[in-house]
Amino acid sequence: MKRTMTLIAAAAATALLAPVASASELTLNVEGIEKAQGTITLGLFDEATYNGDGAVKGANLKVEGDAVTVTFDGLEPGEYAVRLYHDVNDDGEMNTNPFGMPTEPYAFSNDAKGRFGPAKWEAAKFTVAAEGGTHTITMN
Amino acid sequence: MDFSRRSFLGTGIGAGIATGALSGVGMAPAFADLGTKMPDWHLGYQNAPPAGFDPSPMKLVFGKVPAGLKGSLYRNGPAQMQYGDTFASHWFDGDGFIHRIAIEDGQAVHTGRFAQTTKHRDEQAAQKFLVPGFGTEGDPTYPMMGPDDANAANTSVIVIDGKLYALWEGGSAYELDADTLDSVGVKSWSDDLSGMPFLAHPKTEPDGRVWNLGVGGSNVVIYRISAKGVLEDYTLVNIGASAYIHDWAMTDRHLIIMVQPWINEKMIPPFIDSFEWRPQDGLKLLIIDKNDTSKRRWAQAPARAFYHTGAAWEESDGTIRLDAALYAEPILGQDGGGPEIRGEWTPEYGSFNSVFTQIVIPTSGDAKLIETDLDGDFPQVDPRFHGKPRKLTALVTGASSVSPGATSLTVYNWETDHADRFNFGDTRMVEEFLFVPKPGGTTEEESWLVGPVLNIKSGKREIVVFDAAGVSDGPLCIWQADYSWPLGFHGTWA
Repeated sequence: MKRTMTLIAAAAATALLAPVASASELTLNVEGIEKAQGTITLGLFDEATYNGDGAVKGANLKVEGDAVTVTFDGLEPGEYAVRLYHDVNDDGEMNTNPFGMPTEPYAFSNDAKGRFGPAKWEAAKFTVAAEGGTHTITMN
Repeated sequence: MDFSRRSFLGTGIGAGIATGALSGVGMAPAFADLGTKMPDWHLGYQNAPPAGFDPSPMKLVFGKVPAGLKGSLYRNGPAQMQYGDTFASHWFDGDGFIHRIAIEDGQAVHTGRFAQTTKHRDEQAAQKFLVPGFGTEGDPTYPMMGPDDANAANTSVIVIDGKLYALWEGGSAYELDADTLDSVGVKSWSDDLSGMPFLAHPKTEPDGRVWNLGVGGSNVVIYRISAKGVLEDYTLVNIGASAYIHDWAMTDRHLIIMVQPWINEKMIPPFIDSFEWRPQDGLKLLIIDKNDTSKRRWAQAPARAFYHTGAAWEESDGTIRLDAALYAEPILGQDGGGPEIRGEWTPEYGSFNSVFTQIVIPTSGDAKLIETDLDGDFPQVDPRFHGKPRKLTALVTGASSVSPGATSLTVYNWETDHADRFNFGDTRMVEEFLFVPKPGGTTEEESWLVGPVLNIKSGKREIVVFDAAGVSDGPLCIWQADYSWPLGFHGTWA
């Protein structure tokens, strides 16, 4: 449990930017944020990067209400998934309890849930079409 | 054989009598297959009503209520053991149902409610078992974000500063309203400890400070909580083995973590499938100084399995003594109480095979076992003496010959080695009894013992009060409910 949850933390925290040449635009809405403070740190992944450390796109979004929004452009049309966590105390990390369980809220695209670990790619993936699109994640 | 026939007759299924007489103990599965009626004792394993029990006065059916007996007996236990034709695979996996028997002015009023955990709400909505557990694989598509998604809140209860918590062992304590039993929710003792496991056997010092453990593999967190319910400190300890730890012990100066050689290195549900008994490792005892948790020492005892301790105490030379119900090897293993839950139990399954034992831990060298001839479990002590030198332990003893569980309440005196016992007979299934100090009393004997029994003859629940100084004299009084409720595990008095 500790190892897999640490992986979630690492994967969610690492949001490396990688150059991709294309034109699709994706707007991500994150709603239902419980505490109006801190930062939503999110990464957008494709299948190749989802279980690794590097994201296709990433963002750190300051939380001032119960929702944040970010738009990524230049995306290759295709399947993507999002991992995010709410860095409530703004310490730059996804905090865990002493046994390695996250103590800060986290979420995946499609509001997918994991089972003893992060949500699976199959559950979290969604399609970004050539004309772009919007995806909304609700924290709970 | 006699049991089979009597049990059959007791159910009033005439068609079953011949089968029972012919096949003897082998009749039990057939009995369950009848599908119409379970053995009378199975009342103890049936679901509680989803809405619980509204406050309902119990009827005084025996004796006189002792003056000055005032307070609430809270109890907890699994009370959702079946959805449709599917039974829970393990007794530990039924949803927690909390009872309050409020006693005042000679009246006893019973209330009962399910803890509205995520597990309970989701499974009630789906009307099936979804969540993985101790003996349950669960629905492989059910999301599990953390241990509290599986929290059954079904093992015990504690009241700290007027707040009631239902306790499990794999996840957080779960708070309920102490008056109404309405659910409040998962308890975090601090932000950085949210989601940490909290064992179902916290230890309360006579002044109200609470100590407890939380176990994750070989890592153990030690909680120190003030009498006001505020986390004062926590410490992490590695005990060197992923042992099953259900209970532990405490003196006024030390914590004793008992590392039984029942090891689980996989920790994948159903957990019960991956436990391994390693008697060659013995029972290891980690003794930790409460004032400086970095001061620790180990002692070694012969291999034993256990669920429950009574309590520990310490002599002036530092010798630690504690009593516990010890087993030669783990019980509630693979079958997890399944035969009882399914109504298939027969006497061959047996009941307790424990030995009520005192573990003596010298200041150096190996621990020694002083074994009594008592076969029982659910040991309890006078809360005024928890961690202090004392002599009395109350425990449930005497396996029934006609049903799972036990028939007797025994008070064992470690000074005289005398076991004072009351046998209810085979018509009652006896549960844990608690010491309730008499107002103004100062000795252990100046206590009542209060606990529930299931009357399988009448199909009703009873709350029984004894004088701790003379259990064998019989109950002082008995209240009876108009109904039954399922067997539980542990309680507290507040």
